[in-house]
Amino acid sequence: MTTGVLSLDKGTSRIASTVAEPVLVRLALILVSLTFLGLFLFVPLAAILFEALKHGLGTYLASFQEPDAIAAIQLTLLATAIALPLNVVFGLSAAWAIAKFEFWGKQVLITLIDLPFSVSPVVAGLIYVLLFGLQGALGPWLAAHDIKIIFAVPGIVLATIFVTFPFVARELIPHMQAQGKDEEEAALVLGATGWQTFRRVTLPSIKWSLLYGVILCNARAMGEFGAVSVVSGHIRGETNTMPLHVEILYNEYNYVAAFAVASLLALLSLVTLAAKSLVEWTSSVEQKENRP
Amino acid sequence: MSIDVRNVTKTFRTFTALHEINLHVNTGELIALLGPSGCGKTTLLRILAGLEGPTTGAILLNDQEVTDRHIGERGVGFVFQHYALFRHMTVFENIAFGLRVRPRSTRPTNETIDEKVRELLKLVQLEWLGDRYPRQLSGGQRQRVALARALAVEPTVLLLDEPFGALDAKVRKELRRWLRRLHTDLHVTSVFVTHDQDEALEVADRVVVMNKGRIEQIGTPEEVYEHPASPFVYDFLGGVNLFHGRVHEGRVQVGDLNLALREQSGIPDGPAIGYVRPHEIDLHRHPGEEGAIEALVGRIQPVGAVARLEMVRTDNGELIEGEVSQQQWRELALSTGERVYVRPKSLRVFPEPVE
Repeated sequence: MTTGVLSLDKGTSRIASTVAEPVLVRLALILVSLTFLGLFLFVPLAAILFEALKHGLGTYLASFQEPDAIAAIQLTLLATAIALPLNVVFGLSAAWAIAKFEFWGKQVLITLIDLPFSVSPVVAGLIYVLLFGLQGALGPWLAAHDIKIIFAVPGIVLATIFVTFPFVARELIPHMQAQGKDEEEAALVLGATGWQTFRRVTLPSIKWSLLYGVILCNARAMGEFGAVSVVSGHIRGETNTMPLHVEILYNEYNYVAAFAVASLLALLSLVTLAAKSLVEWTSSVEQKENRP
Repeated sequence: MSIDVRNVTKTFRTFTALHEINLHVNTGELIALLGPSGCGKTTLLRILAGLEGPTTGAILLNDQEVTDRHIGERGVGFVFQHYALFRHMTVFENIAFGLRVRPRSTRPTNETIDEKVRELLKLVQLEWLGDRYPRQLSGGQRQRVALARALAVEPTVLLLDEPFGALDAKVRKELRRWLRRLHTDLHVTSVFVTHDQDEALEVADRVVVMNKGRIEQIGTPEEVYEHPASPFVYDFLGGVNLFHGRVHEGRVQVGDLNLALREQSGIPDGPAIGYVRPHEIDLHRHPGEEGAIEALVGRIQPVGAVARLEMVRTDNGELIEGEVSQQQWRELALSTGERVYVRPKSLRVFPEPVE
């Protein structure tokens, strides 16, 4: 690390050295960041892998063949598979409306989109319990019609959607606002229909932001714990998602299985990170190519 | 194709951008909408294109009402102020866009599109730039691509929003002439918006001068320059001296100068404003019989075909700008600080507006 920094220093011109911090300060800053990252990121990550593989690869893999674990993975995938497309549709509509139209209550909408970021996930879960639970506002009606939402799969899907819905919209709004609506107007004047305008003009220009939002949304949907925990009811093999399953296993002192499922979640976050970097890199290369 | 604007009013919430606009554009004409920013010229252009709807009134193209017709079906070409090129498409694809989005039944074959785009690239003199992206082009090149893209759909009306606004002075002048030539060749009815009076006067067949959502005057460049219909037009077309005076029984008094008004000018007695362009001023070393405005010579610029000079009125300290030919200049032989008597050759008088 240090050699890298020093060679960078040599490479830059004399002007840079007059405005840059002294070498000692730079080293200290880098050291602090690395130590922090190491303590709070790499050590736990290594611990997870270590614990998961402590009793050999066989035991590790066996943890995934257990029916409850499979059910948990399936439920997580299902909730994500439902939340993600809805999120894309909502994010696109909201961003489109906010960036391209003037309407009354726009600021309120922008603020509301941020709500899931500011509300504790537990509270979000509780809202659904209060709304759809047996003692809740809609509880008796739902019970009369034999519809189960709380402590069932629909509740988990709802909670996942709630906590993830800002992701795509948040990525798209600033991007679309910065681009304005000139290009769309140009397409319309040239005779394109609304759909053609969206497909050929809007979508290509926002594709990287959209993909970025989808990746973040995916990570959150799979990893969500708080809101899902409140509405789940922790019925093994039925309403347990992967994060909930990890907790149950851990509480039962089944460390190897707990860490095995946890390692799967950790792997997911690493894949997300890689995908995110790839998207950032590709879009920046594309932008550079478009410049003179 | 002719354009008719009938009683068009446009309001945005409490702000009225256009008041009862009426305008007729003949087939093949090149019209400039000229005015300061916020005068409603761009709003009018966008209403013509269908990008905005009028609050009341109607738009007719070739005597057919199109007010409610969808924007894509009007057959207009629109060139945006900042070009609005599709940034993720090549120049070629930008120009081809209007043809590619046509419904299958009227869409030309790929070969026809190819041929058409090449033809347009040639027309705008950018044949070798087809596979570049908009970011890789200069401002002037982008402008021409935007124009080619608008022309690709063979519009019956071409609308341009500040077509040269974002370019530097030299490119601007070139493109101005080029657009004029292009219009002469293609003869498509065109309307462009500008805030630059030189641009409007040089390029357009007729100029529509707008102010605060109203049309102040419509006329050929010569008409609006030589015979401005209102103080605003006089002021906006630039380089003008303004005198405050009084009208009394058909004569106007400005300082020590007393001039007869043109017959039937219909200006009531009372405070009035007179306008005169710098080249319409006579300079004398003596006051003469009719009286004149006394001034002191200030800065002198004896460069080029005419000598420009600034004078300061001795009675109220206001500035007067004058232009005289080099020959006159030599005869007068004035220098800074000398006394001079100013007499307008013609003074356009308007009643003082009531504030």
